[in-house]
Amino acid sequence: MEPGDQQDDLVAQEAAARDYQPQLEGPLVGKKTPSTAITEEYAKADPIYVQKTMVLPQTYSHYRPVRGDGSCGWRAIGFGYFETLIKRGNRAQIEAERLRLESLNEFIENVGHIEPYVFQDMAEETFILLDRISDVIDNQESAMAELATAFNTTAVSDSIIYHFRLLASSWLKGHTDDYGAFITSDSGCEGYCRDTIERPNIEIDHLGITLLVNVLLKPVGFVLEIAYLDRSPGSEVNTFRFPEEANNQHPSDVGPIIHLLYRPDHYDLLYLADMDLQVHRVDSLSHNFRITEAPMAFHSFSAVGDLALMIPNFGSPPPGLAPSILDVAAASPLSYTPSPGSSWVSSPFTDPIQQAPPQTSTLPATVPVVTQPQAAQPRQQQQLHPLRFSEYCQLPKYVENDTWQEPTFQTSSFKNSHFNVAHYNNPNFQPEEYKPGQEEYEPPSLRNSIRKRSSV
Amino acid sequence: MAQQSLKRIAKELADCKASPPTGMSIDVASEADMRRWHVVLEGPANSAYAGGKFGIVVVLPAEYPFKPPTVTFATRIYHPNVTNDSSGNICLSLLKPENWKPATRLLAVLEAVRSLLVEPMPDDPLESRIADEYRSDRNEYNKNANQYVQRYAMRSVSFDAAANEGGKKGSGGH
Repeated sequence: MEPGDQQDDLVAQEAAARDYQPQLEGPLVGKKTPSTAITEEYAKADPIYVQKTMVLPQTYSHYRPVRGDGSCGWRAIGFGYFETLIKRGNRAQIEAERLRLESLNEFIENVGHIEPYVFQDMAEETFILLDRISDVIDNQESAMAELATAFNTTAVSDSIIYHFRLLASSWLKGHTDDYGAFITSDSGCEGYCRDTIERPNIEIDHLGITLLVNVLLKPVGFVLEIAYLDRSPGSEVNTFRFPEEANNQHPSDVGPIIHLLYRPDHYDLLYLADMDLQVHRVDSLSHNFRITEAPMAFHSFSAVGDLALMIPNFGSPPPGLAPSILDVAAASPLSYTPSPGSSWVSSPFTDPIQQAPPQTSTLPATVPVVTQPQAAQPRQQQQLHPLRFSEYCQLPKYVENDTWQEPTFQTSSFKNSHFNVAHYNNPNFQPEEYKPGQEEYEPPSLRNSIRKRSSV
Repeated sequence: MAQQSLKRIAKELADCKASPPTGMSIDVASEADMRRWHVVLEGPANSAYAGGKFGIVVVLPAEYPFKPPTVTFATRIYHPNVTNDSSGNICLSLLKPENWKPATRLLAVLEAVRSLLVEPMPDDPLESRIADEYRSDRNEYNKNANQYVQRYAMRSVSFDAAANEGGKKGSGGH
């Protein structure tokens, strides 16, 4: 009657599989971190990732990691919503949002067909957080601390994002005509809500984002922009904005933007390099004038338009910022005039070996360096240092002649001494190469004939 | 932080007590701990378990309602979907983490447990030998189930066995 050992093992295994929880690291929502950390993370990845993560920090200076527990997309957008409210610093707006979300409770109940007992506790957490933020809104730091505490308290965090899930699912149920066509499964809108949105720890998908943006962000005028870090061709991350109509507009024409970084199956929050400037745009313009007046090396960037490209929100959208700076730097050699400040250029040539006049004149690689623009300078340096030329290589005869040949020495005593570079004791040891047609080489025909003779 | 879900639990408990599933009586283990329920289920008349009284322990984890409750049999039972040992884990698809939804009501969970006794699900077994027997030799299964009822389920229900086991594991089964 008792189950055998094997059965026990099976049961234990099944129980272990049931109870398995992946080890998730880090807080639910982490601290703002320099996005160079992402570059380092991908340093050994495939070239597309390397390229995209190299330029990422130029556009987005910081990111905020979100725990990959299956709700990261929901959590990131939720956090971004509250954070943007804090950044706006408008108490009236926060109170208006509280009223708006409260009125949506009825919507969840009547259109979403969710019973109040399910969502009331959860919505309550959203309202409590809004109240707390509103109380300390004059001090952004303490408001952010309230937000971070709430989002890192599992019960509170989960309640708030489940409240947002229910808002999204109710929005879908109330707008089946608009979104029904996007649902490919047979179970339809109801099934999609049941199986994807209303299940905790199921990741947000494109439709989910659209729904959440439309019910939560759009009415308050916030825009969501997602940077997709994937293996698609290109030198930088592709971005897409929700709602869709915000896509081809200038950042200053749309509302505050919440930036997300998407890596396959994961979302983190991103922060633009000029986030503070964006908030105080008037300030940034006045800085602009001060810079142009200053007698700096900026006159080398001939056009004022170039300068404008470097000023955030002025000229081109942020993703284009990085390359435009590079372009300006690359285009500068024509207008570049050496200034006393560039005297450091000569420093690499203090190396005694390279200091001798005949060497610099015969080393083609070093000659252009002196006239190189600053932008290209560091690269040249890196190439020069690890490579030390032996004194033989610097003789014009050997450098200019591709078919460099081993000097032939006549006496066998020299040949076998360590003065011969072909000798392993020579400090400039250079193994002898096999060179067909040289005099020491024995033609095959001759060797064959010898062998033939001896074998006969 | 647990304050919020306690409101939900109180509501669920009141609902379950007000209109419990047939043959079930529900109460909290102690007034101090709303997250641990003791349920006594009378074996459904139209099942092999008729006449028995089964103790069922429902534990609501700290993450409830985002994580499913754990439901275990405190009384030994001969059933394809309940482990045949002192831990009494139940396989109930409603409670699997991948199927659980925060909107699921505890009343529905208890209903599901009861209907599992009326109609076992041999295709999703925890005890495959009993499941095979249930499919191929129903008489033998009925006999064995009844034997277990006679041996374990005829006295007053005790929750101690499962209390220790379930309390330690904290994530019993379904």
